[in-house]
Amino acid sequence: MERDQILKKLQEIVGAPNVLWKEVDLAVFEYDAGLDKEIPSFVVFTRTAEEVTQVVKFLHREGISYVARGSGTNLSGGTVPLNRGVVIELSRMNRILEIDLPNERAMIEPGVYNLTLQNALAPLGYYYAPDPASQKVSTLGGNFGENAGGPHCLKYGVTSNHILGAEVVWPNGEKAWIGSKAVDPPGPDLLGLLVGSEGTLGIATKILVRIMRSPERVLTMLAIFKNLEDAGQTVSDIISEGIIPATLEIMDNMMIRAVEESMHAGYPLDAEAVLIIELDGLSDGMEEQAQRILEICRKNGVVSTRRAKDAAERADLWAGRRGAFGAVARLAPSYLVCDGTVPRTKLPAALSAVKKVGQKYNLAVGNVFHAGDGNLHPLILFDDRNKEEMERVHRAGMEILKICAELGGTISGEHGIGTEKLEGMPLVFRDSDLEMMQNLKTAIDPKGVCNPGKVIPRA
Amino acid sequence: MAPDINFPASLPGDSGGLSPGVWGLQSLGVQFKQVQKPDREKEAREILAQAFQAKQTVFPCGGGTSLSAGVLPQSVDLALDTTGMGKVLDFDPLNLNLEVSAGMTLDQINEFLSGQGKGFFLPLDPPWSSRATIGGAYAANSSGPMRLRYGTLRDLVLGVRGIDSRGREIAFGGKTVKNVSGYDFTKFLIGSAGSLCLVTSVAVRVYPLPDASSVCDLVFETREGLEKFLAALRSSVLLPSAVVVTGLAGGPGVSDTAGIRFRVMIGFEGHGLAVERQNRDLLKLAGEFGGLGGARTGRDMMIEGIRSAVDPVRSWRDPFFLRISVPIVEGPRIFVALRRLLHDHGLLGKAALCASSGVMFLYVEGVQEKEAGDLAKDLRDLIPAGSGYVAPVLVHRGLLQGWGARVEPSLHQLAFQPIKERLDPTGVFPPIL
Repeated sequence: MERDQILKKLQEIVGAPNVLWKEVDLAVFEYDAGLDKEIPSFVVFTRTAEEVTQVVKFLHREGISYVARGSGTNLSGGTVPLNRGVVIELSRMNRILEIDLPNERAMIEPGVYNLTLQNALAPLGYYYAPDPASQKVSTLGGNFGENAGGPHCLKYGVTSNHILGAEVVWPNGEKAWIGSKAVDPPGPDLLGLLVGSEGTLGIATKILVRIMRSPERVLTMLAIFKNLEDAGQTVSDIISEGIIPATLEIMDNMMIRAVEESMHAGYPLDAEAVLIIELDGLSDGMEEQAQRILEICRKNGVVSTRRAKDAAERADLWAGRRGAFGAVARLAPSYLVCDGTVPRTKLPAALSAVKKVGQKYNLAVGNVFHAGDGNLHPLILFDDRNKEEMERVHRAGMEILKICAELGGTISGEHGIGTEKLEGMPLVFRDSDLEMMQNLKTAIDPKGVCNPGKVIPRA
Repeated sequence: MAPDINFPASLPGDSGGLSPGVWGLQSLGVQFKQVQKPDREKEAREILAQAFQAKQTVFPCGGGTSLSAGVLPQSVDLALDTTGMGKVLDFDPLNLNLEVSAGMTLDQINEFLSGQGKGFFLPLDPPWSSRATIGGAYAANSSGPMRLRYGTLRDLVLGVRGIDSRGREIAFGGKTVKNVSGYDFTKFLIGSAGSLCLVTSVAVRVYPLPDASSVCDLVFETREGLEKFLAALRSSVLLPSAVVVTGLAGGPGVSDTAGIRFRVMIGFEGHGLAVERQNRDLLKLAGEFGGLGGARTGRDMMIEGIRSAVDPVRSWRDPFFLRISVPIVEGPRIFVALRRLLHDHGLLGKAALCASSGVMFLYVEGVQEKEAGDLAKDLRDLIPAGSGYVAPVLVHRGLLQGWGARVEPSLHQLAFQPIKERLDPTGVFPPIL
C-alpha cells in the first residue's frame, strides 16, 4: 500500500489531527531513553480502545509493523519503531476509570502516569506499590510493558505482582480481557507473560491493578559509607538478618555530587556512598528493627547515619534518588544505564568488577541502584558525538552484563531487553529457551508486526 | 495432618507400587498404558525424547492433589510420576532462595527449611500440603490463606527448569528477585497443568521464620456482622498473614445465614510487639461487630489453626474439590450461597473462604453425574462468567462432562491454542485449557 493511502486510512480512523506524518514531527518519536534510533513512518494518537483496535487491525492486514508508546521513557530501545514502523501513541488514553477501595483495585487507561495514580490514591489512604524512579513521567501502560520496578519493589514486588487484569488488543487487532477483580483465572498465567513482554505480544488498553492500604508508619534513614563495597555488604547483611525493609537504595559519590548540584537533596558531598533505608508497616517493633539495622551499619564501618526528621526531609531524600538519572545530564551529554541483577550477596563483587570495567575502557561510571534487589544501575557517561567513545561504551555495557550473568544474575532487572541487550540474551539463555520464546512470539503474532526486533535475538 | 484423599477406585492387584498421584489419575477416570518414575532430570529427558519420537502422550503427575486443574484426557500412553525427583538442589540462606526438584512436597520443603540456621519457611499453604508437590502446586497455581501476606506462586517463584515436548532441557528466570530478561515463562507456566512442558525444578524465594506468630479464633453470629468486620479489618492498618472463614452449623443465627455461625481464623506474624498489638486491636475490632473469641500465640498454633480451617474435615469419598474466586467484597455472600447450594442439593461438604482475597475452597462428598451437572449449572448461575471463576481442582473426569469452557474462548483461540500447537506440536503433553 502506498504511503498516502496508509495516511488516509489512519486519518479516517483517528482523525487527521491525530496522525503525524511530517519528518520534522516524526523525529521526536525516533528514540526513547535508550541509545538506538529509528524514525517512524507515522505517529497515531489514539483516544479509545476501539481506535487502537481499528488501527492495529488495519496495520496487521497490511503487514505494517507498529509499536505502542507512552512517554517514551524506555531505557533499552523497546519503543524504537524498527523497520520504520508506526508508533501508536497511548498518552491521550489517560483516565483513571475506577478506584474500588473495598475490593482494593483500580482500573486505569495505559496513558496514566504512575505518579498520577499515586496522587489520586494517597488522600484515600491507599497506594500502588510499583514506583519506578521515572514515575512522574512514565505511564502505567509502559510500566505494564516493561514490568517496571522501583525502590519499593524490594518488599512489595514489581509490576507483575500488582496487575490483576487487562484489556488487550492482540497483534491481529482482536480485543480480549484477561483476569478480573477476582483472582486466579484458570489456565496458564497469561497476564504474567504479557507484563514485561515489552509490547511485543499485544497492547494493554485498560489495566486493573491491586492497590494497598498506606502503612501506619514510615521511617527513612540515610547511612553514609566510606566505600561502595561496605554499603553493599550492609544491604546483604540486613536482608540475611531477616529484616526486609521497604527499600534499600545506594548511590556512589559521583551520583551524590550530581544530585546535590542539581537539586540539593541534602546528601553529604564527601560521602563515598549513601544507603537509603526505609522501613514501613506498624509502628510497634519498628524502632527495634531500626536499631538492629544501625548495628549492622556500624559493623560495616558506617561513617554516620541520620533519620529523616519529617515528611519534608523524607521527600527531599527521595527527590534526590528519583532525580538521579536526570541529574547526570550535568556531568555528560549522554549516558548508558546498565540494568544487570545479581544475588544480593554478590553486590560487593559486582561493584568492584564494574569499577574495573570503567577503568579498563577509560569511562566514567556512576552507580545508583536498588541494592536490596541486587539490581545494579551503573551509568556509563559519554558524549555521543564521539563515535570511538560510544563504541567503548557499548563494549563496557556488554561486559557489565556478562559480569552479572557470571555472578549468577541476569542481564535485565527492570529495564527490559529492547534492542540494546539482544546480544546479551545468550549469556543467560540456551538455544532451546530462545527457540521457545520465538515459538511463543510466532504463535501470538505470526505476521511479526507487533513491535518486531525486540526481546528475542535473531536465530 | 490433613485427612487424606480417599479415591473411590481400588488399587489394581499388580499396582501396589503406584504412587498416590498415579493412583489418583486412574481413579479420576484417566487410563494409561504404563507408568514411569524418573529419579533424575536426565532420565525424564530421555523418556520425553522417546515419547516425542514415538508420538506418545504423557501425563505428568505429582502428589495427585490438583489433578483436575487442567484437562483430564480419557487415556494417555504414559503416566509420568515426578515424585521420584524430590531433592533440595540448592539453598542460599543469605539470598533467601531455594531450588528444589519438582517432586518434593510442600511439607517436606518446610521441614527442611525450618531446620536450617535460624529457620526459614516457604509461605505456600494450599490444602493437602503434606502431599502436594511443589511441581504440582506450580502446575495448578495452588495457594492457600497465607497468600494474603505473601502472594501466590507468581510472587514466590524465581525460576524454573524443565523439559520441552522434544525432550530438551529448558530454563527460565533464575535466583534473583528481579528479572525481565526475555519472555517470562516462569510466570506463564504457572497454572499450565503440565500442558506445555514438564517442570523438573523450581526456585522460590523463602522467608526467615518470624519472631512471633499468633492466631485469633473468632465466632460471628451473623453474616452482616462478619461482612462489616472484614471490611473494617481491610481498611485498618493491621497486617494479617491469613484470614479464613468457615461455617459452624447449629448456631442461633437466623435470616439469610440459615442457622450458620461463622468461625474466623486470623494469623499474624512479625515482631513480637507488632503481633501482640495486632491481637489486641483485632479482638477489640471484632467485638465492635459482635465477634467473640481469643488469641493464641506460637507458630505451630497459627499454622495448625489456619491449616485446619482450609483442609477438609475428614477423608472424602469420590473427591469433588473446587476452587472458587470472586471479588473480595463478594466473598461472604457467595460463601453463604455455596453452603445453601449444598443443602439444597442434599450434599455433604465443606467450604472455606480465604477472606481478603475472595478465594474459596469447596469440598463435596459423593457427587454423582446427575448432581454434578446440576451443581455446575447452579454454580454458573451464582457466579456468572466475568464475575469470578469456578475451577475444578480434583474432580472425576466423568463429572466434568458438560462443564463448559473453563477459559474465555477468545483467549483460548488467540493465545492458548496457538501457543500449545507451537510448543507441543505432536501433543506429548495433555491438552491446554
